[in-house]
Amino acid sequence: MSADPYNSEVRALFAAPVHAGVVADGKAVLVDDQGIRVELAARPENGQLSIMRFRAWGCPHLVAAAEWVCCHYEGGPVSALENFPTARIMEDLAVPTEKTGRILVLEDAIQSLGCSLSH
Amino acid sequence: MADTQIYLDYAASTPVDARVLDRMREVAEVAYANPSSTHAAGRLTHEIIGRAAAQLGGLLNVDPATLVWTSGATESDNLAIAGGARYRAHRGKHIVTMKTEHKAVTDVFETLAKEGFEVTWVDPDTNGLLSPEAFTAALRDDTQFASIMFVNNETGVVQDIEALGTICRERSILFHVDAAQAVGKVPIDLGALPVDLLSLTAHKFYGPKGIGALYIADRADCHVEPILFGGGQQRRIRPGTLPTDLVAGLGMAAVVADGGIEDDLKHLRQLRGILWDGIRGIDGVTLNGDPDGFPGILNVSVEDIEGESLLLALEPICVATGSACNSRSQEPSYVLRALGCSDMRAQSAIRFSIGRPSTREEVEFAVRRYRDSVAHLRELAPEAAA
Repeated sequence: MSADPYNSEVRALFAAPVHAGVVADGKAVLVDDQGIRVELAARPENGQLSIMRFRAWGCPHLVAAAEWVCCHYEGGPVSALENFPTARIMEDLAVPTEKTGRILVLEDAIQSLGCSLSH
Repeated sequence: MADTQIYLDYAASTPVDARVLDRMREVAEVAYANPSSTHAAGRLTHEIIGRAAAQLGGLLNVDPATLVWTSGATESDNLAIAGGARYRAHRGKHIVTMKTEHKAVTDVFETLAKEGFEVTWVDPDTNGLLSPEAFTAALRDDTQFASIMFVNNETGVVQDIEALGTICRERSILFHVDAAQAVGKVPIDLGALPVDLLSLTAHKFYGPKGIGALYIADRADCHVEPILFGGGQQRRIRPGTLPTDLVAGLGMAAVVADGGIEDDLKHLRQLRGILWDGIRGIDGVTLNGDPDGFPGILNVSVEDIEGESLLLALEPICVATGSACNSRSQEPSYVLRALGCSDMRAQSAIRFSIGRPSTREEVEFAVRRYRDSVAHLRELAPEAAA
């Protein structure tokens, strides 16, 4: 009756969010919407995201997704922030459909960070 | 201890006591006949069920003949409320309960409302208590039925059943008590308490799941209409072949509880004290409910923490965010909201429930884990937007 609401990836990312924190001398954006908060921060070096961090207030799926995106984008080009892999996150983290809005808030944060870094 | 499951969810369910399990195994091996059969094997089963009724009757101080076996508290509540209100419909259509009752009660009231009954939902005070004055104010001349729970499953708040029952007696109102969290855990003397109907279930006090009972006082005009049909068992109130081993298990759970309640309460008070003293100093922590409630339950909220993440961070501690029956719901607890808690406070609520097997080491571990988890999640959270 009560299947585990979290898959192993969510559990692992939530238990050890190695990208949690802030970035000194970087740029940060905060999105506060739908009862959750996500802050993403990054430092660009030569067009690359040399370091990326997050802070989040929300459910385990949101925390895990924030850690997931930091792992995904860190070390890659700033231009990659233009594309957000919503479907892959939903699938990899087995995010319940009723929580889709929370992943879209994370997408807003990524897009906002991309805009911030490109100006 | 860090990797070992620590069970602090005894309000959701309890493990079966070893003596109960022994009794059930013993009965299952020999008493397989239908208790309605008149042959020797059937008579043996019938006798075992009678013995269990005497054991439960002993715990509650009632005549065993006033007990009706059911599948658990949900069925007992349904039978008492739907059966009781319908039986007394000729007296009026007004029925009363509280907003903080279990779903097994509130859903039946909502069903009765669709049948034409008028329901008054009484608010508790901010501690979860219902004063006799507030209860009296909700009653009308045509009120014929009221249902108030003994111990709240989420907060541990204990209502003054004697005072509320007395008010009902004075007005000839049929009074039902959902005592799922109380039987076997707090002293209940139905020989003295003015209660007409009382629901209970075995698995909340170290008995098996799937068996409960409804007490129906032997008083004039105190009766319920059946909600199940299909046989004449149990005075046509609740048909169906009884699960003899489960019934025997409930009887043995009553025996184990009887005489041990004070020791259990002392143990629970001690552990609850350690738990509350350990976490009350955390910035933003508040207790939900009555500080003097049932000591087996401690419901706490903490500011600026998301409840679902806190629940996962607390693992391997097994606790609840709301009542277990509804814990997959994303909605903040309706019980806590009825106490005036904000959605934010209600969604961070954790219910710790301690039991007979709980140890000081487990509770001390829970304190450390709670403190660490709150600190970790606060560190993880960004400031709110200005």
